[in-house]
Amino acid sequence: MSQSKEILNLSVSIGEELLKSGAEIYRVQETVERVIEAYGVQDYNVFVLTNGIFATVHENREDAGSMVRNVPIGDVNLGKVAKLNQLSREICQGAYSLKEAYIHLEKCKNAASVSNMALVLSCGIGSAGFCYLLGGYLIDSLMSFFLGMLLQAFLLAAGKRHTSKFLMDILGSALVTIGGLVLYILGLGIQFDRVIIGGIILLMPGVALVTAIRDLFNGDYLSGGIRLMDALLTGMCIAIGVGAAVKTFQLLGGGTLPL
Amino acid sequence: MIIQIVIAMISTLAFAVLFHVPKSEYLYCALNGGIGWAAYRFCGNCGFGAAASSLWATLVLTLVARVLSAVRKMPSTVFLIAGIFSLVPGSGIYYTAYYLIMNQLSQSSAKGIDTFKIAGAIVLGIIFGLALPQSWFNHLGNLFDKNKKNKNEKQSNTPQQS
Repeated sequence: MSQSKEILNLSVSIGEELLKSGAEIYRVQETVERVIEAYGVQDYNVFVLTNGIFATVHENREDAGSMVRNVPIGDVNLGKVAKLNQLSREICQGAYSLKEAYIHLEKCKNAASVSNMALVLSCGIGSAGFCYLLGGYLIDSLMSFFLGMLLQAFLLAAGKRHTSKFLMDILGSALVTIGGLVLYILGLGIQFDRVIIGGIILLMPGVALVTAIRDLFNGDYLSGGIRLMDALLTGMCIAIGVGAAVKTFQLLGGGTLPL
Repeated sequence: MIIQIVIAMISTLAFAVLFHVPKSEYLYCALNGGIGWAAYRFCGNCGFGAAASSLWATLVLTLVARVLSAVRKMPSTVFLIAGIFSLVPGSGIYYTAYYLIMNQLSQSSAKGIDTFKIAGAIVLGIIFGLALPQSWFNHLGNLFDKNKKNKNEKQSNTPQQS
């Protein structure tokens, strides 16, 4: 493999990892371009979408290289974004040879993440806090806390089986709603809607919606469209899960809910 | 009010953990979330609507995130995404889709338009915040670095003198 192809491979791999971790389009594009430049290639083209990277170098020369990567939308991991940002900055300062850069990239990829227990707990805390901010009482927050933990535990268990993301959204929100309904039947004086929204806040595509519109404003219309579609579909799935559970409850004779 | 801000900080911290923010930045993310929510509530108390409050709160939040990113040498997204979570119209999306499923179409479209207005306002806040030149923030970061270095030098100098 000639030098230019290795440079291309390195830069696109960094870009891929960034994109997977939820970095903005312009950051990915800039990083890939800068890494290519840092190794002395002047003739290049990079095109980044929400779920793919296309790049070519030295189109008019013998050692021309081109690369396409398909990058599925993954979980947000800001720690990785920060690390890769640091790596690319160091590469631009000329700190690493190609081989060293690969080693550092592998290190960033396999960085230790937060333990599952901490994830479950923090999801519960986040749900409880959000429920309170929406105007819930303390008892609502407490219920949201348990529902949030339940949801995160479910997502972690389902994530191991590579279930489709949309199915996970539907089942997860249905699970939270059923949990909320059980609490409601038990006669706890809860504000049903706030508890449910607090419980499923982790699934909410709020950040995705904002990122989508940001991409649109940046002129990345296609990327913004992809993310917008993702946000709307996720919202629909959550509503289907909640709606199905509530409707079933009503049909079984539970009466109307104070929504 | 103060309880609300503290709770906003705690939930921002929780979301920072969920988004795998580096451990050293947890506290700053929480701080940013608290500031954002305080600004949101302040605007609300002054009689602003939900969209206008979101715009101002996001503007403040973005500026704080950029200052933090210059000082802490981190990409500003780290502070922005975690901090913005409490402002993002998650419940709006939920109500829109829920009313749609429940066949209450007029309520659904009203909520939907509301949600898009708030999302748009948040985005405008971010864009205005990001429009300021990076050099100002770099300058701030450099100032902070100098202070730190001076302190370190003083600290390392004192034992030598004694």
